Amino acid sequence: MNTYNPITALLIFLAISVFAYLLFRPYKGWYWLIKTNSKSNGKIVVEDILKLLYHSENANKHLNLNDIIRTLKTNDTLIVDSINKMAAHELIFMEGDAVKLTKSGSDYALRIVRAHRLWEKFLAEKTGFDRAEWHERAERKEHELTKDETDILASKLGNPQFDPHGDPIPTNTGKIAKIKGTALSELTVDTIGRIIHIKDKPDIIYKQILAEKIHIGSLIRVVDKTASRIVFHSEGESFVLAPIIAGNITVSILEKDVVVEENLARLSILKEGETAKIIGISKEIRGESRRRLLDLGFVKGADVRLDLLNPLGEPNAFLIKGTSIALRNNQASKILIKKV
Amino acid sequence: MKNKNIEHIISLSNDLRWQIGDEFHDNLAEGIYADAAEIVKDSVHKTDEKNKLRLDARIDKIITSKIWGFPIMFLILALVLWLTIIGANYPSSMLAGLLLDTVHPALKAFASSIGMPWWLDGFLIDGVYLAVAWVIAVMLPPMAIFFPLFTLLEDFGYLPRVAFNLDHLFKLSGAHGKQALTMSMGFGCNAAGVVATRIIDSPRERLIAIITNNFSLCNGRWPTQILIATIFVGAVVPNSFSSIASLSAVIGIAILGIFFMFLVSWALSKTVLKGEVSTFNLELPPYRPPRFWKTIYTSLIDRTIIVLWRAIVFAAPAGAVIWLISNVYLGDQSMAAWLISSLDGFGFLLGLNGVILVAYIVAIPANEIVIPTILMLTVLVTGIDGGAGAGVMFELDSVSATGDVLRAGGWTLLTAINLMLFSLLHNPCSTTIYTIYKETKSVKWTVVASILPVIMGFIVTFLVAQIWRLFI
Repeated sequence: MNTYNPITALLIFLAISVFAYLLFRPYKGWYWLIKTNSKSNGKIVVEDILKLLYHSENANKHLNLNDIIRTLKTNDTLIVDSINKMAAHELIFMEGDAVKLTKSGSDYALRIVRAHRLWEKFLAEKTGFDRAEWHERAERKEHELTKDETDILASKLGNPQFDPHGDPIPTNTGKIAKIKGTALSELTVDTIGRIIHIKDKPDIIYKQILAEKIHIGSLIRVVDKTASRIVFHSEGESFVLAPIIAGNITVSILEKDVVVEENLARLSILKEGETAKIIGISKEIRGESRRRLLDLGFVKGADVRLDLLNPLGEPNAFLIKGTSIALRNNQASKILIKKV
Repeated sequence: MKNKNIEHIISLSNDLRWQIGDEFHDNLAEGIYADAAEIVKDSVHKTDEKNKLRLDARIDKIITSKIWGFPIMFLILALVLWLTIIGANYPSSMLAGLLLDTVHPALKAFASSIGMPWWLDGFLIDGVYLAVAWVIAVMLPPMAIFFPLFTLLEDFGYLPRVAFNLDHLFKLSGAHGKQALTMSMGFGCNAAGVVATRIIDSPRERLIAIITNNFSLCNGRWPTQILIATIFVGAVVPNSFSSIASLSAVIGIAILGIFFMFLVSWALSKTVLKGEVSTFNLELPPYRPPRFWKTIYTSLIDRTIIVLWRAIVFAAPAGAVIWLISNVYLGDQSMAAWLISSLDGFGFLLGLNGVILVAYIVAIPANEIVIPTILMLTVLVTGIDGGAGAGVMFELDSVSATGDVLRAGGWTLLTAINLMLFSLLHNPCSTTIYTIYKETKSVKWTVVASILPVIMGFIVTFLVAQIWRLFI
């Protein structure tokens, strides 16, 4: 006990805490970095290049070596090495200075895209990860799934056609469903449509769309459009977006003579004592949560009334089929109603 | 040929599924639900629902109102805890008088009359029997009062309203409103609190509730807190304030536990539990008069007896270990003395001492026997008068006599405060650990739930000790 001194003890404790923090802090901790680096081999770079080429060829753009180096944030020699290796394996070929995919290269890329989108679907349906995290997690997982694992995953999910962003998932034979839609920024005033796709890249814009609480499957009506903004109504609320953001949302236009439920609103706007009829549950509520709501009686045509206000603001209790059920606001905002 | 046919059918079905699209399945399911609802509406007639609903709505209006909701809640919780702690005193001391002061000497006399060797008599009667008797005497009465009261409130329909009122606070830390109930249940017994998390049907929130239940000060720890606060905290203020000071110290510890519960819930939901599925819904059932006798019966059978049985199963070997380490000698020291001196340095760093750490290690099976073990070990290593012999747990009738023993063991106000903190923040008792494993079926979460609070206890007591020594 001779050397004991509270200050030394505190300092040693502080040093250990800082070290542990550096080692284990989320994502950037040394432990995680070492763990991911040891796995990061040529395979990931090759697959990332294939994916990049695939997406740009779909958009009718052709990339040269410099474009690839600029877009991927890996060291340059690794990329050049990988490209040489890929050319040797006949995954890519050069046309002028443009790098292009061969048939087997594009098949390979399609498999990665399939793994990525299936994993996003899995995260959305079967786990509780926040949707802002899906893309990043799938970016890592797509390199780990083998072809067989991907097929098993697909059949477990019921061979879905679209991922949670509305992107088509290629089948194991390479078939892809077509998205038939128009960018929201291209719509004219008074067009009615349904949101079918929200681009998850670039990240900044995607997060902004998520923050606006716009979701796939909702009906919209454009009410105003200028060069700097687009205003549209959806589910009883009004949204204003800049064209650059609206360009990342794809809408399938509905025929004028399709009967569209007017006065749609979200359950969250119901006031005490008001009664409404349920129209449906937004596609944003998935998996277990969706089934639970259906079990409780939140089905099309059911009458619902705001029963009890919460002293802290949420959850509020709704009277449905004679039972009082409390829902949080983020759930209530995804149940569509029509006031009566 | 046949195989070819089957393959053809499979590929055709895949094609067709593709054409129908993703939404078909959902729409079909929802259509069935909606049709079923229509049929019910047309064919089932309900009568006399209106009046009942109106009374329910009236009660709900008061219980969930901004002004009355929270005071009513705290009042009821305080009342239940008060009834439990105060009410349990009498049966507890009766049981202690019977099992510890009457049956124990009788057993000893019987053992010596048939000439049982001293080690067998010590091992069985002073070790195993005494630990089991102690756990029954301290544990049974509070549980037999707390659980029926709690179950009555549940049966009446009040508890779901508590979850309703508090859900927003729990949502902020990523937890479920029903955790308010399992937390309150934890004030009675953590093992029962862990079992009660079955009412939370969302997997992520249920795990959070299980792992953080230990931060509710349980019945086994209330008496420790009250005793230590009375001896040490009550003594530093003038006599007329001493009971208020010690009471607020105990309540402060309980509130600190709630604070840690929120903190850890938040941290867990942001890190390791992020990927677990999370759903929310809360049914507010209609009020109904509680079925009194049925409730009493089921709460005694389902909760009290099961938990007590598990506690006994774990306490028996603990009693044996306590007796053995005090009576088995390594060289010229008993194992207990040897353990204590090797843990003394670490204990000092935490503002505790070796005796306390050893007591917490051997008393993992039940928090109830921590204080008796500490007293026995203190007497053993200091060599002062008193006690009942090596390996024989005891408690003193007078609080001041207990204080004298502890002070002779070198206890200060810092030791007392850190013991209170450590009693809040340490591993769950083995009954609870076993229950957590039973409920989660996962070694990983059981380990997290057991280790996490001890580490927090070490950190908190360490920091308090250093800062205390710097400034006081």
